Amino acid sequence: MTNIISKSTAIIALSTTVLLIGCANQTPNLQSGNVAYGDSQAVETLTNEFGSTDLQSIAQSMSNSLLQSPVLRATARPLVTVADVKNHTSEYIDTKAITDTIRAKMLKSGLVRFAVDTSAMKNQTDELIRQNSGLYKKSQSKKLGQMEGADFRIEGSITSIVKRADDVKDIYYKLSLQLINNESGVIEWADEKEIRKTSNQSMF
Amino acid sequence: MKETNTKRKRHHFVIFTPLLFALNACATIPTAQNPNSIPAKVEQLGEMSYLRVSNIAAQTRKQLLFVQAEISNSDSDNQQLFYRFKWLDAHGFVIGNDDPWQPLLVYAGQKQTINGLAPTPQATDFRILVSSPDNTGNP
Repeated sequence: MTNIISKSTAIIALSTTVLLIGCANQTPNLQSGNVAYGDSQAVETLTNEFGSTDLQSIAQSMSNSLLQSPVLRATARPLVTVADVKNHTSEYIDTKAITDTIRAKMLKSGLVRFAVDTSAMKNQTDELIRQNSGLYKKSQSKKLGQMEGADFRIEGSITSIVKRADDVKDIYYKLSLQLINNESGVIEWADEKEIRKTSNQSMF
Repeated sequence: MKETNTKRKRHHFVIFTPLLFALNACATIPTAQNPNSIPAKVEQLGEMSYLRVSNIAAQTRKQLLFVQAEISNSDSDNQQLFYRFKWLDAHGFVIGNDDPWQPLLVYAGQKQTINGLAPTPQATDFRILVSSPDNTGNP
């Protein structure tokens, strides 16, 4: 009788343990629906519009080309700024995202320095004015008139040609960039990156 | 008779022991691979059926490692390749790891060249990661 009781106690204890283990979440993942993390560097061909792979390819190609340009190599850590990259395509493309990636890749090399661009200039001047407003210790305030002017500026444009024939849609993108000497106005370097994307829109 | 059996056992022992040692040696000694050979520099996602890296050249150009690889297509159809570069420092640590996968169309029976530039002067070694949709793997 005692044996039967101890056996049943053991079975109950075992099933409770199994049940508890089964309920416990084994991974630090709170999941609901069909959401999943993917590879941010993967080739994306969901649609033929401008996508992450195009942005990454353009930025990679342009930063590699710029870092190998003799003009940037001639000076030790030249100071560069990014001007406007105009979007002449028929779709919305955040060109600042392209230039930001190019700038990040070039800065990472340690071979080039970047001055604040026009979009960040307001923040820069605001900070300098705030530091020189009399609220801060004079010895620790950054002085006015000490900003460095960039040796070169990067500017360019992105264009596209879209063609349709029956069910086929062909998009050709071209990003052109130039590196201009700010003092002389000479275009010291220029390069282009082209991308062709073709999709078949057939429903069957 | 008993003596003959013992002799036979000894004889078997003499034959099998060196064989076992030889097999064991084969299992434990890794196959020596030239660290500068193409297989040592290429990481495939699955075995590529038609594409192969046929040549690699690397050179340090003003502090940054520049790599050029030649991709050959042995098929009579065009093949799509996906590739990316992985950069390593002198101690074998991965640098950056933010090179994107890039698509490349390799025409039938043709050779194409791909280039990579190290993100920092600290990168002294590299791997080329390759994948083709005809592979078992896909990025």
